[in-house]
Amino acid sequence: MARTLSDRVPVFLDRDSPLKPDLVLVLTYLAVTAIGLLMVYSATAPGLEARGIDPTRELKTQAIFVVIGFIVFGVVSSIDLTEIKGLVGPIYAVSIFLLLLVLTPLGDSEGQAQRWVDLGLVQFQPSEVAKIAVVLMLASILAAATVPLSWRVVARSIAFVGLPAVLIFRQPDLGTMLVFGFVLIVMLFVSGATLRQLGFLAIASIVLTVGLFQLNLIKQYQIDRLTGFIDPDAHSLSLSYNQTQSEIAIGSGGLLGKGLFEGSQTNLQFVPVQSSDFIFTAVGEQFGFVGSVIVLGLFGVMLFRLLMIARVARSRFSFLTVSGIAAMLGFHVFVNVGMTIRVMPVTGLPLPFMSSGGTVFVAMSAALGLAHAAWIRRNMTIAD
Amino acid sequence: MVRRRIWNRGDLRLLIVGLVFALAWAGIGYRLFNLQGSRAVALATVGFDQRISEQPIPAVRGTVYDRDGVELAMTIDGWNVVVDPMMLDDPAATALVLAPFADVGLAELTTEFVEAQSKGRRYAEVAMRVDSAHRDAIRAAIRSYNDANDPDIVGVFYREQPLRVYPTGDIAAQVIGLTAYDDGSGIEGLERTFNSELQGRPGKLIVEHDPSGRVIPQGQVLLEPATPGSDIVTTIDREIQFTVEQGLRKAIQKTNAIGGSIVVMDPETGAILAMASWPSLDLNDRSQVSPEVLRNRAVADVYEPGSTLKALTVAAAIDQGIVTKDTPIDTPKSVTVGDYEYEDIGRNPAWMSVADVVKRSSNVGTIEIERRLGKELHYDYLTAFGLGAPAGLDLAGERHGQLNPVSRWNETSGSSIAIGYAVGTTPLQMAAVYSAIANDGVYTEPYLVSEVIHPDGTRITAKPRTRRVISVETAVIMREILGRVVSAEDGTGRRARMTDFTAGGKTGSTNKFDVDLQRYTDETMASFIGMAPLNDPKIVIAVVLDTPTGSLEDGADLANGGASAAPVFAEVAQIVLHQLGIAPDKL
Repeated sequence: MARTLSDRVPVFLDRDSPLKPDLVLVLTYLAVTAIGLLMVYSATAPGLEARGIDPTRELKTQAIFVVIGFIVFGVVSSIDLTEIKGLVGPIYAVSIFLLLLVLTPLGDSEGQAQRWVDLGLVQFQPSEVAKIAVVLMLASILAAATVPLSWRVVARSIAFVGLPAVLIFRQPDLGTMLVFGFVLIVMLFVSGATLRQLGFLAIASIVLTVGLFQLNLIKQYQIDRLTGFIDPDAHSLSLSYNQTQSEIAIGSGGLLGKGLFEGSQTNLQFVPVQSSDFIFTAVGEQFGFVGSVIVLGLFGVMLFRLLMIARVARSRFSFLTVSGIAAMLGFHVFVNVGMTIRVMPVTGLPLPFMSSGGTVFVAMSAALGLAHAAWIRRNMTIAD
Repeated sequence: MVRRRIWNRGDLRLLIVGLVFALAWAGIGYRLFNLQGSRAVALATVGFDQRISEQPIPAVRGTVYDRDGVELAMTIDGWNVVVDPMMLDDPAATALVLAPFADVGLAELTTEFVEAQSKGRRYAEVAMRVDSAHRDAIRAAIRSYNDANDPDIVGVFYREQPLRVYPTGDIAAQVIGLTAYDDGSGIEGLERTFNSELQGRPGKLIVEHDPSGRVIPQGQVLLEPATPGSDIVTTIDREIQFTVEQGLRKAIQKTNAIGGSIVVMDPETGAILAMASWPSLDLNDRSQVSPEVLRNRAVADVYEPGSTLKALTVAAAIDQGIVTKDTPIDTPKSVTVGDYEYEDIGRNPAWMSVADVVKRSSNVGTIEIERRLGKELHYDYLTAFGLGAPAGLDLAGERHGQLNPVSRWNETSGSSIAIGYAVGTTPLQMAAVYSAIANDGVYTEPYLVSEVIHPDGTRITAKPRTRRVISVETAVIMREILGRVVSAEDGTGRRARMTDFTAGGKTGSTNKFDVDLQRYTDETMASFIGMAPLNDPKIVIAVVLDTPTGSLEDGADLANGGASAAPVFAEVAQIVLHQLGIAPDKL
């Protein structure tokens, strides 16, 4: 099928276009985003009000990013992944450059980690961009490779993930490193890596982890986070406080929840960073088990849909890109929700489309947009 | 055109990825069900416990009234003004606005805010214990700043802090007493004696709060209201108290005394109309507080009453029919009892009537009367008149004097006690003794609080106990004798004479016993205790001056009660009787 001018127009605006949006993906995306906005508002309003500040301030800020994210999703949805292929190198290079910027004086620190670039008007988190860049780069490398994968390709893949991983490790951001690792393994797995290669990767990551600990390259607070998760009493006053409060909040929601704006634990900010990392506690407390399952179900449907898209993707590059995005999103959801209920350590990974934060929302929207683009053009025959 | 792929290795691996996620989701679901199902109640309880706290609601302390309903002590709305430093955008600007109203200066306040902020504290004091007007002034200042500036000052809080105030200030200070600075409980005077009535019962407010401790307005609240304290109505008459305090202050200046006290008592009821003690203080100024000024000398000073007690000795002998007022008593210059020689001051005839013994305050004559009375009967009358036992006001620091039981009396005890030595009394006790004589022989326990008014309006009225100690006839004779002390030209109490009213009374001047030196010194306790009008006494006044020195224009030594205390009685009694609306009985 030849490309027409209408290909360039966002597909949602053209009724006659053969390129139809995927309602399942779009609706789950919208639903999760809407719930996220409501949760951000419910979690921040009382605190802002108590300080005499406009209670909708956080909501408004987040809403602006949501609008930007929607636009990005729409624009990315309408591009052809084939065209992206040539841009993977530059995108990857820019993201590495941005990661380097964080380590310069331009970088801004929040808490004990330096993850932001201050661009004057907005603060910008390059590691979010790097996640997409890594997925695209891996897809590009692995799409060109023959199956079964050669050790050379595996080594190249590790190298291209390793570079941003090292830079992020210097910030340090353990959560994002874990994302890279998981995405790498999943993408190698689906692209046809042998069991030996995967086994080697597993052993290598264990050796690497132990080595980092041995060389004291991991900061104490990161160790505390991990051990605090295992042994809450040892750190009950500091780190595991977050998780303890989070558990209390979610647990006190019960089966049906306390109702919107009735979540005294989250609304009163007993749970720290609740509007970002711990946003799921707001769901758990206010909407209970039923609400939690619905939100998890929405993410589950989204993930299932992504894997379906991967399966029907028209090219190996698309297939790998969508697989990588599914892996990245799924890992975020699992680690984030797992953190709030103490089945995972505190790593600072946001809950996609729900946690407050501009860069995260826009980047995740772009990632979902890439998968959506793959779906829209799944039937177009283009030579890889 | 849909190109169906067959299940290939890629599909299989995708399926495995999907299964891994499904497993992870199932794990999360299981854990969620565990938290929100089986552990939900327990976790909700933990959450609730950390959200709620109990706040005491202070009970409004009762009011202390004078007998006409004038407030002597009352509790008003007060405030502690504090800030949450973490909420301040600009600590320096905030300090600048608040400094004029703060307890500390600008520099100190700024430092306080900046330091508290850097240490992450959520509390800093601005102005403690201020009244509502002060708080409103602070509010107004913040409002006008916020109208003109941005960002606004937020984070200033006003916490309720009831204030105990004394509208009449320095009036009856030691009688009213004080409350503790921290918990507001009574620690001196009536505030202490009637603390359990005044304090009420604090209530409590169980509130939900956020992690920083601020109360959530829409949170769950359980209120157990406080029960306000009861009011007490004292017998003090503010006008008379004022008169008495003025009189005492003037007397102190005139006689150079180091202290003194005056008690005004209604002999018919036992009500204390006024009770003054010097040195004194203004209760509203805590910087003046010291044990010395808080001591209520009218109940806390135990002194030897000296000649004022002769009235009791004589009254007992007359009441027993042992002597009459006209019985002649030998009054040699001195008399020796055991190995102690008692003598009279000044020149007296060889014998005098009982009445003249009192008028001339003869030690020798009184000792002879006591000898005829006998120590057993003497002791019975002393205790009947309330000596050696608390007068019953139950005021903080009140003492019951010193009276040995008759079994422990030695050879000279009876003689010494007859003339007011070897016995310790308080000014209040002596006022009560004279009140019995004034009240036709019926002793009435003195009291300071006539009514306790409960918050529900019910009242408890004081019913002072009374007992007859001498017959009406004896009392009438005693008043006649005491009247002569004042009215006779050679009476020791002639300076107690008033222009408008008749009066009777007795002077007293005892050398102070130096405990360290174990001997009597030249310093005296000078006193006059009297009643007026003589035929139907409406008031009994005890004036006691500690160590008056100097002399009057006619050379009279102010160390003597007749010279120093008697004029105070005259001056005070005359005004008080007019204040009470008593018709003058002297033309």
